[in-house]
Amino acid sequence: MNDRIKRVYYPMTESGFYILFCLQTPQHGYGISQQVKKMTGGCVTISAGTMYGTLSKMEKDRLISIYSEDDKRKLYQITDLGREVLTNEISRIERLYKNSRGENIDA
Amino acid sequence: MRKTFIHFFTIADYKEEENWLRSQHRRGWQFVKFTPPCFYIFESCKPQDVIYRLDYKNSKRAKRYTDMANDFGWEYCGEGLGWLYFRKARNIIETENEGELFSDNQSKIELINNVIKTRFFPLCIMSLAFLLITIFSFPYFTSHLSHNLVLAFSIIFGINTAVYIFLITYCGNKLKKMKNKYKS
Repeated sequence: MNDRIKRVYYPMTESGFYILFCLQTPQHGYGISQQVKKMTGGCVTISAGTMYGTLSKMEKDRLISIYSEDDKRKLYQITDLGREVLTNEISRIERLYKNSRGENIDA
Repeated sequence: MRKTFIHFFTIADYKEEENWLRSQHRRGWQFVKFTPPCFYIFESCKPQDVIYRLDYKNSKRAKRYTDMANDFGWEYCGEGLGWLYFRKARNIIETENEGELFSDNQSKIELINNVIKTRFFPLCIMSLAFLLITIFSFPYFTSHLSHNLVLAFSIIFGINTAVYIFLITYCGNKLKKMKNKYKS
């Protein structure tokens, strides 16, 4: 993982995190937005422009790749690099969560 | 029935443009086409509250985007100078974000950065080039043309320079202000 990826994706935006998380199974843009809406109980919604912009950027940075495409939709899925970024982000969130509850992280 | 409206919006006025298109639709004029630099073709329609949203893509591969926006309930209704025009009827919008193309500040800032990089900077370079050409060609004009022509050219150059200076300061300030608003 190079420095640019680290700079851009640590920490990730909330939309970025949910998009990458959802792409552990292949999905298209609108499908991701529906899934995010459902799993967050409507707390997080991702609009069309933000979705397209984030997907394009992640595809360019090779965090995700095209799983399949027809003339209407592209299905994306996470890559190995994307998985690495996601795992790091999840540990960061777990640390935040533990610390927020007054727990310390063992070195 | 079709009608052409003339309205000039700078690269920093896309929010105003969205509101203007919405108000036209409310009056029974739906947007059909934009022809640069300032011609808007409208068609008469049933007055309705329809939200218009613009995105700036500056690339030819927008088909994927318009298809995806369509999934989100946006009707793609035209393109001009890199701007994409979308609309959605107000009554099918349930949450605030459904009426927006951008749901987080970062994507709003990215749009502004893209406009600055591909439109504002070229505008500055063009203005500077124009100014330099004017200054360096002035001795030629004064020695080869009649007094009246020199005066006429000077006035035109003067107006042009003023327009460029106005555009650069206006757009520069406004884009910066918008960016700061989304940052805080």
